Amino acid sequence: MGISEPLETNNVISGAIEAPRYSCALAGAYSTAVGIFGVVPILHSGAGCGIGQLFGQFYGGGQNAGGPYGGTSTPCSSLVEEHVIFGGEKKLEALIESTVELVNGEVFAVISGCVPSLIGDDVGAVIRRYKEKNPEVPIIHVNTSGFAGTSYDGYEYFFDAVIDQLLEKAPKEKGLVNVFGIVPSQHIFWKGEAREIKTLLEKIGLKANLIVGEFEALENLKKIPAAEYNIVLSSWIGHKTAEKLEEKFDTPYISFPGVPIGPKQTSEFLRVIGERLDVSADVIEDLIAREEKRAYRFAEFVGDILLITRPHPYFAVVADSNSAVSITKYLANEMGYLPDIVQITDNPPEEARKLINEELTTDLETPAWPEIIYEVDAYRIRENLKDRNFLFLLASSLETPISGPEFNALHLTVSFPSYNRVILEHNYAGFSGGLTLVEDVMSTYAGPL
Amino acid sequence: MSGTELTENELIEDRIDLSRATCPNREQRANGINVWYGKASDLAKEARSGCLRQRERNFQQSSGCVLNFYLSVRIGTIRDAVAIYHAPVGCSSAALGYRELYRHVPVELGRPANYDLHWMTTNLGERDVVYGAGEKLREAIKEAERRYNPKAIFILTSCTSGIIGEDIEGVVSQVQPEIKATIVPIHCEGSRSKLVQTGYDAFWHAVLKYLVKKPEKKQKDLINVASMLSYTWQDRLEIKRLLGKVGLRVNFIPEFASVEQFEQLSEAAVTAPLCPTYTDYLARGLKQEYGVPYFLYPSPMGVAHTDEWLREIGRHTGKEREIEALIKEEHEKWLPKLKAIRQEFENFKGNGEKVEVLGALGQGRLLAQVPYFDEIGLKSSAAMCQDFDNLILKDLEKLLAQMGDFDILVNTFQAAEQTHITNHRNPDIAMTCPFQGGAFKRDKGVTRVHALRSDAHPWSTQSGYTGAIAFGNFLLQSLKSHSYQRTMKEKTLSTYKDWWYKQPNSLYYLKAEE
Repeated sequence: MGISEPLETNNVISGAIEAPRYSCALAGAYSTAVGIFGVVPILHSGAGCGIGQLFGQFYGGGQNAGGPYGGTSTPCSSLVEEHVIFGGEKKLEALIESTVELVNGEVFAVISGCVPSLIGDDVGAVIRRYKEKNPEVPIIHVNTSGFAGTSYDGYEYFFDAVIDQLLEKAPKEKGLVNVFGIVPSQHIFWKGEAREIKTLLEKIGLKANLIVGEFEALENLKKIPAAEYNIVLSSWIGHKTAEKLEEKFDTPYISFPGVPIGPKQTSEFLRVIGERLDVSADVIEDLIAREEKRAYRFAEFVGDILLITRPHPYFAVVADSNSAVSITKYLANEMGYLPDIVQITDNPPEEARKLINEELTTDLETPAWPEIIYEVDAYRIRENLKDRNFLFLLASSLETPISGPEFNALHLTVSFPSYNRVILEHNYAGFSGGLTLVEDVMSTYAGPL
Repeated sequence: MSGTELTENELIEDRIDLSRATCPNREQRANGINVWYGKASDLAKEARSGCLRQRERNFQQSSGCVLNFYLSVRIGTIRDAVAIYHAPVGCSSAALGYRELYRHVPVELGRPANYDLHWMTTNLGERDVVYGAGEKLREAIKEAERRYNPKAIFILTSCTSGIIGEDIEGVVSQVQPEIKATIVPIHCEGSRSKLVQTGYDAFWHAVLKYLVKKPEKKQKDLINVASMLSYTWQDRLEIKRLLGKVGLRVNFIPEFASVEQFEQLSEAAVTAPLCPTYTDYLARGLKQEYGVPYFLYPSPMGVAHTDEWLREIGRHTGKEREIEALIKEEHEKWLPKLKAIRQEFENFKGNGEKVEVLGALGQGRLLAQVPYFDEIGLKSSAAMCQDFDNLILKDLEKLLAQMGDFDILVNTFQAAEQTHITNHRNPDIAMTCPFQGGAFKRDKGVTRVHALRSDAHPWSTQSGYTGAIAFGNFLLQSLKSHSYQRTMKEKTLSTYKDWWYKQPNSLYYLKAEE
């Protein structure tokens, strides 16, 4: 990519920001690649981009190591001044060849950083040449750069590359659905969420292709066009991908504002999916009845601690839109907590904001509608939390040290970055996910009565 | 190889020129490299003859750049300051744990109770790349002042701001008159150098140029120690304890320092190293500009080196007698414990053979740790080193004379090469940075070289006398713990194909000379 062909980005914020809760487009493409087991990212960038995102994305996403292909294991062209002057194409060519020779992997994804974009490396041509010589090697070029947007944009750029460079039309497979909208690392519970959603869909007889958090990378990517439907678990992330798949492969899509948390959201999710995909209502209702019964029987066990310690408390949320909507709705609609303020940190586009606002107001079973603020700047987020009523702050680890001293609130890390919670499979998705959220929230104060 | 040996004066560019915007790269200043494999004696010979040169790899892994190893995290800890990254949003994300991570150090152990750290990014986008972003930087500086009224504002540059040719000095000189804080531009464009150490030099250059004040008075009891938080909080406490016993005070920079501590660097009696290669540029600059004496070797690691380190400080502060008394007192306490550790290592194999250790170290730690390993009865017949430059040549030669030859693999976090040498050498203990890919997957002991966020437990100390004992015990522990690494080795796929481990050369992908 040259800078003369700007990428389409949602990054509308143009001023300086203090400690934003996402990284750059390269980081998003990179963490998506690392999140699909079997994809080998190859960074065409400066040497620090991988290690920077090891600290910034992988550690930030729940203190996760980079895994076999992330962090300092990531092949990288490590561009310096001489490449700025003479170009980095030769270096990349040698790197691709050696990577394929050395590294165990199924799909290779060359991800461009700022340097090749600025110096005008023709990465596409390097890859075309390589493909001509090695047609059997699945390799794509994620056309991005650091300055082409945020981590969320990077996620879409990754799938953009997959669609354009890897996918071919395939006959539709009955009951196969792809799931998009969960960005590895940025959604700190991505691994557990992906697994839970897959299990849920399988329980109603669908074949779910989650892609992230899964093995068989090549197979899963290649079957994307065969899906009957695309499910997007976000009011905006993954929408471009879904639209493109609709255009190219006639796959319709349906979106939800986030990963469903607890029985109410999960039941609604399953009912809508069931209707669209023609799943027998009996199957859906049976599952809902069984799972609800259990979830609510278990929820009874928190009755005492809920009423004794901090009943009907106001709470504040600082999170990406997906997490913010699902968490707020669960706590308001099922636990009787009162939303005070919700700050959305992922910079969603205007059209998504309308939907998010609706979810956080008219969709709440309480008249205690929260103040909704879209903010990515850490300073302003902190200012906005001052002088309010909330007793709980569900936010990122950035708020851990200030929550008590500045706001007198108990704190739980539920959103990126999460430097104070190690998160492997833990998550809040599905029927029992709400209970897990309750466990975490109430454990911030529960003790001997 | 040419027969002419370079003299000390030719080995490094000694003069620090503060009229320039930044330092020369380590490549230019001291012929730094980060690709090499072979006998340490050959490395020293090549460097001494001026024939050593940087090579290219055909396979390379992400290893850290001038900005992102690990400058971002260090500068972010400076109190009463704001760091501004003139960069796209991703370059600063390594700094994201700024508010929470260091809270793990308890206030009782000396971490300031009330500190608030700040960083911003100018968030460069497509438009800025085309039209420039000087105005944005100006606005960010003003906003930083409005928000926090800091004493200093650090500007960190990036590949992008470098390549699009942002006039940082122009912006700084234009906006400085309106700003109370001292603006400190640091030229740490990721693409400017292959050597991460260049980032440290760039930082010290900026500190020397913009922050250090002319001495108002000399403080005869003040010792400058540039302490990275890859040395632990406990290392600081140990240094403070030892020097405190003879009535000396320590000025630790940069982590958790206040801006005033930087201003006072010129007033100290001596600049002493924890890590010589990290401290070098600052120490030379303070000597050249303000006559502050310095020494770079040894580091206070291991008993013998700690003795020497203290004696050096004694010489510069006129405390020779007090230091000798201190050393005597400390030896009485610690030497029996050191002996016990040594015995345990010596008996570990039960056949008279020594326990082998392979360390992945910075070049500063290489010089410090290899003799320490010997002190506690470990054998180190090979070492990995992040980079190598002429700054340490003389001391490497000295080390070789003392310790004999060993093999050395010079690379900056090249996980494949490190996994390879670890497999081939099959040492009893492999020391690694925590983030070195799959290097931990093996049947024997693996442990970290250092802590990342200044582990505050006494168990993690590495410096001084308590450190010599604690680190020895730490290494002993690593011999006993294998289940995670062995299970991972058995149950997970190797990143690299089998042939990699079967071929003999860690630097297999060295590019042929053209």
